[in-house]
Amino acid sequence: MGIAMMTWVGTMIFSFLLGTFLCYKVEKSGVKRWGATGKLFKYK
Amino acid sequence: MIWYVAVFIFYIIFLIWANIKSLQTAESIDDYTTGGHRMGLLMGIGTTAATWVSVASVIGVPGYLYSSGVAAVIGWVAGWCFGGALIPIVAYKIRRPEKPARTFPEFIRLRFEPFQKKSTLQAIVGILMFIGYLLLVNIQVTGFGIVFSSITGMDYKLAIFGFLLFILITSVGGFWSVAATDTLNTVLITVGVLLASGVVWSLTGGLGNILDTLATTTAPTNVGGPALDEGVLLSPLGTFGLGTLFSIFISNSLGTPSSPHWVTRMLAPQNVKVAILQVMGTIVVLLFIMGPLIIIGLGAKVLLPSIPEGKTTDYIIPLIIQDYTPPIVGGITLVAICAAAISTANSMLLHCATSLYYDVYLNISSKRISDRKFKNWLRLSIFAIATVAVVLAINPPWFLAMGFVYVYGGFGAAFFLVVFLGLYWKRMNRAGAYAGIIIGSVVYVVAKAMGYDTPFVIAVATSLIGVLLAVYFTKRSPLEAYEPYFEAEVSHSTKQVAETIRNNSHEEKADRSEVG
Repeated sequence: MGIAMMTWVGTMIFSFLLGTFLCYKVEKSGVKRWGATGKLFKYK
Repeated sequence: MIWYVAVFIFYIIFLIWANIKSLQTAESIDDYTTGGHRMGLLMGIGTTAATWVSVASVIGVPGYLYSSGVAAVIGWVAGWCFGGALIPIVAYKIRRPEKPARTFPEFIRLRFEPFQKKSTLQAIVGILMFIGYLLLVNIQVTGFGIVFSSITGMDYKLAIFGFLLFILITSVGGFWSVAATDTLNTVLITVGVLLASGVVWSLTGGLGNILDTLATTTAPTNVGGPALDEGVLLSPLGTFGLGTLFSIFISNSLGTPSSPHWVTRMLAPQNVKVAILQVMGTIVVLLFIMGPLIIIGLGAKVLLPSIPEGKTTDYIIPLIIQDYTPPIVGGITLVAICAAAISTANSMLLHCATSLYYDVYLNISSKRISDRKFKNWLRLSIFAIATVAVVLAINPPWFLAMGFVYVYGGFGAAFFLVVFLGLYWKRMNRAGAYAGIIIGSVVYVVAKAMGYDTPFVIAVATSLIGVLLAVYFTKRSPLEAYEPYFEAEVSHSTKQVAETIRNNSHEEKADRSEVG
């Protein structure tokens, strides 16, 4: 049970880390059309 | 019973209202296929979560938890979640162009053969999508029929033809109708599974009791069937074995980000960041849907050690609702399952019809039609395909969750390399795309037919060899094919090529202002 649940939780954590990294890349690009606003999770 | 009827009537009224509203909103082909590329975050999360949670999740996954134990969490719940985690990698690139593709096959055309007047590649992808989504819609219809007929006592065939009405109501309005109804469906699904899991939790005495039972039970899945090995339901491999579980996980995870409906979903948000945040938000919402489903599936083994002979594990949810939940909870859960089936079926039906009409017929015939004609013909296609899916569901062919694995595996085998290499490798070209799609899909079907445990891995590995050979023995991609996915500002010739393809099949109206 522990391994199964940890696999699921691990994929969720991976998802948030990857999503955050990609949002950072959008910010770093500075392209407004892609959603760069100056703040990591702000989109408009 | 009164509450159940009231909830159901409210639900139908909302579906009709959302459809009428959408018919007024959707004016252009972009509106109809991808919501005009201007979807906001909240509606994006609502529609993504509802499409994600299908009958394969709500009925099929608890069924496999019941028969195979916690291994189903790794195979399906974690598999889909990992696949979901990879979707933003696609979103990060595919939503970059100022005017993105309207459909998945059109993206393939823009990326790999932008100078072809009639795109064979777009047509091949359209046909593969049509086959896959017809099967997936068929699974939703079957799941709905099983649940509705079991609980209400209505004839299965009558139930599936009733379902036809629901999916037609939500599909004919196009993307906005699908998205609006999906958002309500997400709320309904969450409430329904939370209530049902609460009942199971209270009847079983909580997680401790459930785990104690799973650790010792040897009760067969079906009455009269072979006894289970003690403790197998808590083992990470369950009753599957390493090879099969790995194959299920890989098909669900790598098949997800390259499945055309998820790629198309990433074309709908108003910008790249919304697309990424939409997936992150959906993962949070899914915690409140998948968690309760795990409790229901595992707890069912405590409440009902074996299911009657002749019933598949897809019947476990209806059996639990019928025998153990109060009518009001049963009613809401039934509406939740109905919502899960509708929300996935309508989205897939839209993709199925669009791929057949827009990507195959209009592309090959090179006809130019108005937006109005496009919508009317697309609605007719939706009606015809939905009817075929319902007729095919009269004799259900497979287990619901496993059916998803097969189709997702097929999509992954055909499109995984083409999508990821196309978006992240400038050298990936037209010949590579043909090799990837044809070798991937053919090898997957052959490996599956020959009974290999890991057809997805075999197909992708073979396809990778074919892609690399094709790419390095042929010319590089032209700038116009890859530039929109790598650069913020594109050259004049790239803009012109994209515009020509967009206007190839219809008379486009002026762009509409941003909403959502």
